[in-house]
Amino acid sequence: MMFDRFRRNRNNVVNGTDQGKAQVKGSNDILKELDQFEKLSFSSHGEILGNRVATLHGDFTDELGGTSAFRGNVSLTAQNVKAIIDNPPVLDEYQNAVDVCPTAAIKNLLGPGNKDPTSEGIFDTGKCILCGRCQDIAPNLFKIKNYPALAVKRKSELLSSLGGEPQLDGGKEVYSTLGEDLKCKIGKILGRSLAIREVDAGSCNGCEVEITALNNPIYDIERFGVHFVASPRHADVLLVTGPASRNMEIALRMTHEATPDPKIVIAVGACACSGGIFGDTYATTGGIDNVVPVDVYIPGCPPRPAALLYGLLLAVDRLKPNIRKEK
Amino acid sequence: MEVSHEVEALKQADISSAATTSLVAKFQTGLLAALAKKTGGIELLNENEIHVELQSSDSIPEACSYLKQEFQARLAMMICSDERQLGRGFVLRYVFEAKAEARNVFIFVTSELVESRNEKEEKDGNNSDVKHIISFPSIVLQIPSAVLYEREVNDMFGLLPAGNPDTRPLVLHEQWPAEAFPLRKEFDLGTKVKRTLQREYKFTNIEGDGICEIPVGPVHAGIIEPGHFRFSIQGENILNLETRLYYTHKGIEKLAENMKLDQVLLLSERISGDESVANSLAYCQALERIGRLQVPERAVLIRTLCAEMERVYNHIGTLAGMSTDVGFAYGAARLNILKERMMSLNEQVTGSRLLFGINRIGGVGTDLSKDTARLLYISLKTILDDFNLVISHLRTKSSVIDRLRYTGIISRQVAIDLGLVGVAARCAGIDVDTRLDNPYSAYPMLKVDSHHDSPQHSTQYSVEMQKRVGDALSRFDVRVEEVNDSIRIIRDLVTRLLDDGSKSLAAPRPSSFEPYSHALGYAESHRGQTLHWVMVGSDGNSLYRYKVRTASFVNWPAIEQAVLNDIVPDFPLVNKSLDLSYSGNDL
Repeated sequence: MMFDRFRRNRNNVVNGTDQGKAQVKGSNDILKELDQFEKLSFSSHGEILGNRVATLHGDFTDELGGTSAFRGNVSLTAQNVKAIIDNPPVLDEYQNAVDVCPTAAIKNLLGPGNKDPTSEGIFDTGKCILCGRCQDIAPNLFKIKNYPALAVKRKSELLSSLGGEPQLDGGKEVYSTLGEDLKCKIGKILGRSLAIREVDAGSCNGCEVEITALNNPIYDIERFGVHFVASPRHADVLLVTGPASRNMEIALRMTHEATPDPKIVIAVGACACSGGIFGDTYATTGGIDNVVPVDVYIPGCPPRPAALLYGLLLAVDRLKPNIRKEK
Repeated sequence: MEVSHEVEALKQADISSAATTSLVAKFQTGLLAALAKKTGGIELLNENEIHVELQSSDSIPEACSYLKQEFQARLAMMICSDERQLGRGFVLRYVFEAKAEARNVFIFVTSELVESRNEKEEKDGNNSDVKHIISFPSIVLQIPSAVLYEREVNDMFGLLPAGNPDTRPLVLHEQWPAEAFPLRKEFDLGTKVKRTLQREYKFTNIEGDGICEIPVGPVHAGIIEPGHFRFSIQGENILNLETRLYYTHKGIEKLAENMKLDQVLLLSERISGDESVANSLAYCQALERIGRLQVPERAVLIRTLCAEMERVYNHIGTLAGMSTDVGFAYGAARLNILKERMMSLNEQVTGSRLLFGINRIGGVGTDLSKDTARLLYISLKTILDDFNLVISHLRTKSSVIDRLRYTGIISRQVAIDLGLVGVAARCAGIDVDTRLDNPYSAYPMLKVDSHHDSPQHSTQYSVEMQKRVGDALSRFDVRVEEVNDSIRIIRDLVTRLLDDGSKSLAAPRPSSFEPYSHALGYAESHRGQTLHWVMVGSDGNSLYRYKVRTASFVNWPAIEQAVLNDIVPDFPLVNKSLDLSYSGNDL
């Protein structure tokens, strides 16, 4: 039956039930070409209403980094800061990137207050919104990688040092194995499921789209024992997005107070980590940690669902000592 | 014949632009004759903007109601800008669209607010309350949809709309001091104003036997954005709903004045994350008009393709949400799989699951490779087949359709009075679509839908429109139809892109734009018309004023009307069926 549907789809393409066909010059050739391509690339079409569970196979990638096109992280190719400073053309290129960065994620090596140019941490993943402008202007120094920037427990760890970005298990971890790890940990530490309350503190709704995606049948986070709850009173974890707008500041504080101890706060996305592109202005507070204490930072604009899952894994780790303290 | 369709399309575009010009001329004479005594002058700017300068702010209501009555004009936006540094005072611009009279024309009624009253006060030796004295005549009695714009101006500029019965704070909540006006030039972006508890927000009080209030939000039960809803109910029936938004106000307009043009582009993508293409497109087109940049055809095709992909994944997501809200998890799960497929296609086309980073001023940032184009072409076909299959299942479930039918009705009159745009207007039988009314990007050469390609279809469509009742079911239908149309458009664009051998992705960028020149950019997001008005700053590489009006801002008041005959449990469904952005509204 599946094969029939495939054939029908293919015939539609070939026989031109399409609007585009008649109008375009030479479109027959293109459609023929498309048909051949379809034959080669056919993977999992038309099975959405079949009996198989359409999770993590077929069109979808289980890789943390997504497809090769994904803008996940910025890596600096220079070996050390000295190699940049001592080489005037390289330094020029670097400073161009500093100028073009919209969120000041790249440290200005010539600016005041940077007397120690050998210090590491010249790139702040917590501020980076992955626009790729640095790679455009300084292609020799900055490379956009598809592997996502990973969540960290301390804000200082968001500052990435030179010479490659961290990868889990050499980049071999995939979404489903991370999820199984999470399930194990939740079972050990909580003995039940992990309850999350999401709080939007002024996000652009991009992070919400990705958090919502965690609940779809592809990522299906409930199978790992993670549940989104309707009230902070039921929650172990607050997942907070946005630069903490001033109008949400009080509501965020009250939500935090309403959450029973032990509780974990996760800052999701560049805005929540550092204010992101919205910065620290009359209307924002420049990051969630200026309003409530944050335990885990998940960088990204927005972080893809796999990166969110990794952040939760770290959060459960943080829950452990807290619970002991309570006892 | 070796004449390609593009050339034909361009010829047609030429003819239609000539027609527009003649309409504009006709319109110009009519307007000039009617408002002769009041106007300082009329000029045509940026091809389709007629600017009418009023001599005195006192004649604003008269001019606006004249436009409304004579031309059935719709208030599209109201812009205030602080141009005191330019020797002008505060300037108000009322932007109208008069589709019945002239398509693809925006009428700007401009008036300067002179601080003459201040000078008088100063002469009298009484200048203690100077900041509160500047006022302008309100037009809410003539045009009800102006109320939110006027409240916004009151908050952000400290200009009092005289005659507006509702001057409660809107953007700045009650803890903000009364004398902080963020969009005035003397207000510094980084100012941390002290919280006060002087002002109290008064909700409409409904009293009677058995009537009680339910406050909801700003933190909601689901994974959505923050906003406050105050229901007055009797039993389960909603007697009144008042929305209180602006919890996500991030000062985007003020922030833009402190950024470079390219940074504002990234900011515009984050006005509302799920409509990044539409907002950045509107912003880019405004600047491209100012700089008269000729965007290469390949870039135009790619932009349009991404704009349509955005429409598809969001409409599918909204339909999934509606399915959740009627308690039909099966449909939601299936549709969410399709949304995820779309998002992974987004990623392969642009490197971002939310299509961030595609637009650049003068073109696009990423090319579409042949392999990706082919993948897109084929995947979309299967997605569309699956989509229509799921929808056919939903349509045959009475438990779904019964919940949707006659729920959340927006009457045609409400839609007209509030000047609704996008799906919210189309579901009530109003034929508005920026892609057709003000064709931009590649839309002039595309078949946007199958209703406007022949007079016969147009007539059929207008009859069909009359039947729409503005309920959740009609919004469901409109979205389903738009998903089908958009996928057809994308597949058409893919074949054009594969056919197109050109390489250029962006027009050469001028080092700076003319200081203080301004233009309106527009696009149709999946929510409706989004308007971005930009005024270039003194150095030609920054903005003096950036006014954004998304479809959400216009459509939010509709929800207060839509829920009036419903019960409280229907509210999430009504809310989702309208699919409004909080962030796009709050800025």
